[in-house]
Amino acid sequence: MSELKIGATVHLTNGMTATVKKLLGEGGQGYVYLVSVNGKDMALKWYKSAPSSSPDKFYKNLRKNADDGAPAPMFIWPEYVTQYEQGSFGYIMKLRPEGYYEFGQFLIARQRFVNVGALLTTAIEICEAYKALHAKGLSYQDLNDGNFFINPKTGHVLICDNDNAFPNGEKSGILGKARYMAPEVVTGQRMPDAYTDKFSMSLILFLVIYMNHPFEGAKVLGHPCMTEEWERKCYGSEILFIANPQDKSNGPVKGVHNNVIARWPAFPAALRDAFVREFTAPILQSPTKRLTEQQWLDILTAVRDDLIRCPYCGKETFVSQTKCMECGKTIQVNNVLVIDKRKLALTDGNMLFIDRDDTPDMRVVHTAQNPNMLVIQNLMSNEIEVQTTQGQIRIVKTNEYLPVKLGLQLKLKIRGYQYIAKIQ
Amino acid sequence: MSLLDVEAVPRRTMTLFLLADVSGSMRGSKIGAVNDAIRNVLPIVNDINDSNADAEIKIAAMTFSSGCNWVYNEPKIAADFDWPDQTAGGVTDLGEACVELANKLSKSHGFMTSGSGSFAPVLILLSDGGPTDDFNGGLDKLKQNNWYKAAIKVAIAIGDDADLEVLAKFTGNIESVIQVHDVESLKKVIRCVVVTSSQVGSKSSSTTAGGAEPATKQDETNKAIAQQLQGADNVQIGTEAANVSMDDNW
Ligand SMILES: [Zn+2]
Repeated sequence: MSELKIGATVHLTNGMTATVKKLLGEGGQGYVYLVSVNGKDMALKWYKSAPSSSPDKFYKNLRKNADDGAPAPMFIWPEYVTQYEQGSFGYIMKLRPEGYYEFGQFLIARQRFVNVGALLTTAIEICEAYKALHAKGLSYQDLNDGNFFINPKTGHVLICDNDNAFPNGEKSGILGKARYMAPEVVTGQRMPDAYTDKFSMSLILFLVIYMNHPFEGAKVLGHPCMTEEWERKCYGSEILFIANPQDKSNGPVKGVHNNVIARWPAFPAALRDAFVREFTAPILQSPTKRLTEQQWLDILTAVRDDLIRCPYCGKETFVSQTKCMECGKTIQVNNVLVIDKRKLALTDGNMLFIDRDDTPDMRVVHTAQNPNMLVIQNLMSNEIEVQTTQGQIRIVKTNEYLPVKLGLQLKLKIRGYQYIAKIQ
Repeated sequence: MSLLDVEAVPRRTMTLFLLADVSGSMRGSKIGAVNDAIRNVLPIVNDINDSNADAEIKIAAMTFSSGCNWVYNEPKIAADFDWPDQTAGGVTDLGEACVELANKLSKSHGFMTSGSGSFAPVLILLSDGGPTDDFNGGLDKLKQNNWYKAAIKVAIAIGDDADLEVLAKFTGNIESVIQVHDVESLKKVIRCVVVTSSQVGSKSSSTTAGGAEPATKQDETNKAIAQQLQGADNVQIGTEAANVSMDDNW
């Protein structure tokens, strides 16, 4: 047993020490302690025993990841690694802040997103995180519900257990959970890599959005005892999408898979098309043809563009549904803001998100004088350059307004990136 | 409908069966330790259940001595499970216990009725002696049962008089039989076995990459238990040491 005592110190490879203050948690692989490093509170993951069949390789990889730094801010990344001492080793990471809950708590409905906007923020941040990880040439290898911590109010995501992140193509030797693995990994035809990560990520996205497992429908329910052998079939050789339009034998069961039954038609078609493509033949069996994170980001951005606050009841609904999903009133969209292929409805009360973060950049509101007169308020720190239909240039500063008027062209800058938007 | 209306993603059920010997030889500190250990491990099982999106863990407990008896007539989640103090007495009808276990390992007329499906159950057998009835007959019936075949099985042999061969027949493997030789070790081992088997049994199975033979949940359980009990005093796993006292007639 390599449990550490309160007050014990472990040596970090950079010469610093970490002093154990408190046990925070225990998992199958190891312990997590509250430690003090240079007077700062941090977390120490300490392995019970070597977490891999080749511990030296694992340790070296951990040190390299710590030196290279986190691919994106969502990762609670190994910052320092301890010396190989007291029969084991570990790594130092930031403490998880308050207000974040394990994704599993959402799946068992102990935690809920406060709104669909927060849910979409979660989906977008997961894609951003893996895009950055894969761009660094790493693969995560073991994506499952235990890796994600989510703030239900904001949708912000933190990703833990980053010790399995290995250079793409190298195996960490860590086991994955069948329910979250790509079918070709479950059947043993392929090693976990960036492509199998993409499958697991799509699966997580499906769970976040539709709140049912994409491959657990009637057929899977038909096996009263889910043995390891059946798991290898249901998630491997005989995998079948719950919303497969050609083969409905694993379709959702009323009373059991109620979430996906309600949400599948409610969320935009672009999302349905993407999941059907990813999770049915031939793409399901073609790992290298899977959607890239950037493609997912474009799809999710379109979904968020489709989400509005109903001008009548103030609840969230999708423009593409025509009628408000809450109050049933028909929502008239007279004008849209077009950015490349994107279309944002200019309806009363709508918040406009131009870049992918969750801070609204503009909002649509009616004027006090005329409830039918809509204006756009600039919520950004940068000004908006507007070109009128007569070709004049007008500047709209922070918190100032421009009218919702056909033909106006907006130039706006967010984090150094310029967007051209046109009111249509 | 509201976009935010949502219910829990259906979880499978993983039923943890505790089969406890309460025959006369368990009298005194042994039965006291069993009572104490089971009561103390229930809140831990509850925590595992609460943080697990793969399965809901339910507990079914049977005591056996002269005949056998279910503590509740249905599996219950740990939060709803009160372990009544057991008193020891009678003989060791392990054969009958096997038959009764086989009866309840059934979807149509037993305990395995979950509408959202089940994972293979965990069967934990605790005994300090040898069976006094037709164990082999009972076990033969149990061995026909598909739930039994798929189950993770662990046996805890209490004291020197436990019949290791019988327990190994029950688990199908001597590596899954853990011997304990004192009351404190017994408590520790019950906790370790219940927690570990709950953790492994209630999650989607592990898969290894690259075509390697996947580890079974039984292997994973055995390995994790062995790792935690490594070096523990008065505990032996499987055949790691010959715990026999040789008589003088050799
Ligand atoms: Zn409405």
